[in-house]
Amino acid sequence: MRWNVEERVRRIRWVFLPIGLCALVAVGAHAAADVVGDRVLWLVDRVDAFFDWIWSAWSFTAPLVDVVGLTQRTWFARAVALVWELLADALIAVPLLGYTEREPKEEWNASREILRRVRSPLRLVRPAATLLVAVAGAYSIARAVQGSVQLTLHVFWIAWLARAVTLIGLLVLLSPRAVFRSLEHGPGARYRIPAAVVLLPLMLAAALSLR
Amino acid sequence: MRTRAPSMELASLKRRLPFAELLLCVLCLWAAWYRTPAGALVRSIGAWIFGTRSSARPLLAYFGAGTLVPPRPPPILTGPIPPAQVLAYGAGAVLEVSPAEVAPRLRELSQRLGSDDAALLATFCGEDAARYAVDQARSSALDDLARALPPHSEACVGQAAQAAMLAGAYALGWPLPESVRITSPFGVREHPMLGGNRLHTGVDLAVPLGTPVRAVGAGIVRRASSDGINGRIVILDHGRGVVTTYCHNDALLVHDGQRVEKGQIVARSGKSGRTTGPHLHYQIDLAGDPVDPLRFRAQHPKTASGATD
Repeated sequence: MRWNVEERVRRIRWVFLPIGLCALVAVGAHAAADVVGDRVLWLVDRVDAFFDWIWSAWSFTAPLVDVVGLTQRTWFARAVALVWELLADALIAVPLLGYTEREPKEEWNASREILRRVRSPLRLVRPAATLLVAVAGAYSIARAVQGSVQLTLHVFWIAWLARAVTLIGLLVLLSPRAVFRSLEHGPGARYRIPAAVVLLPLMLAAALSLR
Repeated sequence: MRTRAPSMELASLKRRLPFAELLLCVLCLWAAWYRTPAGALVRSIGAWIFGTRSSARPLLAYFGAGTLVPPRPPPILTGPIPPAQVLAYGAGAVLEVSPAEVAPRLRELSQRLGSDDAALLATFCGEDAARYAVDQARSSALDDLARALPPHSEACVGQAAQAAMLAGAYALGWPLPESVRITSPFGVREHPMLGGNRLHTGVDLAVPLGTPVRAVGAGIVRRASSDGINGRIVILDHGRGVVTTYCHNDALLVHDGQRVEKGQIVARSGKSGRTTGPHLHYQIDLAGDPVDPLRFRAQHPKTASGATD
């Protein structure tokens, strides 16, 4: 009997494709959240200063100033960035685990049909965020591949080629699937306004991470 | 010679597509595993389930490209540090070797790679890695350099960041004249107003009202605000995870976002906020953790009796 590796890999695609899509978007979400870490700290400082001013106005609320004191503010800012990133993961990366593959033509037609039926732009926030974050993730992974290859083989052009092939592969083979799954899931998903609050800044951050 | 038809080529390519997809998915998983807090969470849960030790860092240490790792307290200084030696003292403290051992190499690396941060990265991650990072990064700041390196460099990047932080702290000056006495040192103490043992996160320096308070290093004003506990407060970000705080001032002379130089007057001391009398609360944070400012000074100001807040 012929041991058909291709067939075996094909058979387990339903396992590795959803996990890969989820990981791609998780990497993109982190790249985005990390690049605006300083901005988050700046924002937390402003909000903290404002609330410190309010709480310290009355003696019975004054102890609240120390809840996020001078020592905790950096920790708190990073915790805000972490929660933001994990919320984004929950909103756009975890649903990708439900990806079931179809023929590319069928996926394309289904996407057009979904887009035709969408009435509110809020329903498109998740797919749009998935697109930007997946691109940021692809860029970040390609960079990591280039670094690894360069520091292992010390041949610039091979590292550069590895980066280009990875980037193109991720943008062509995985990112469209992530967007399709998000289009399939996003328009019907609940909590559209809270999701937009989380995802719109993430989209901006993802775009910034591509610089 | 016979050539294969394009449709056959396409079919062959399509057959091999699952391999490419598998490889790409493995790369995605590899990056997510080592680079993201979500990956760290999965690694930690996996280690907990299987009873093994996880190599994942704390979740909050994944920001700042892994450069926000608080260093261990450095050794007590035996003498003043010449400004040109601060980098060697930072690297020496992390490597647990004498600064004199690393100073010549650091100087050479700094000249060759064009920045102190790149020299530190070369010391801990190797010169090839640092050179590659310098070529790829947008700036010579350590977090930008670290972003260019592959995920498995996280340990050496963390060490380089700790050395940079310590070097940054060693380079700081003092906010008041050296003769000013300390009325309450860093450490756990009984709180003079609230009672109970609490960590005093900085040092209190007894000064008359209106004494000029100077920036201990160049940086950006992260906060210039006022509240009933800390009084009029200035927080300066000196970069490399080094932040200094000046509390209980009478007047603030800088505003949010302003760039200040070392020695510039940023406030006039006072007794605003929750205080027992006029003094300056001066604090140093490294990667968000408060450290004893006297750790970075060879000459310690005299300590007065009694405690202030």
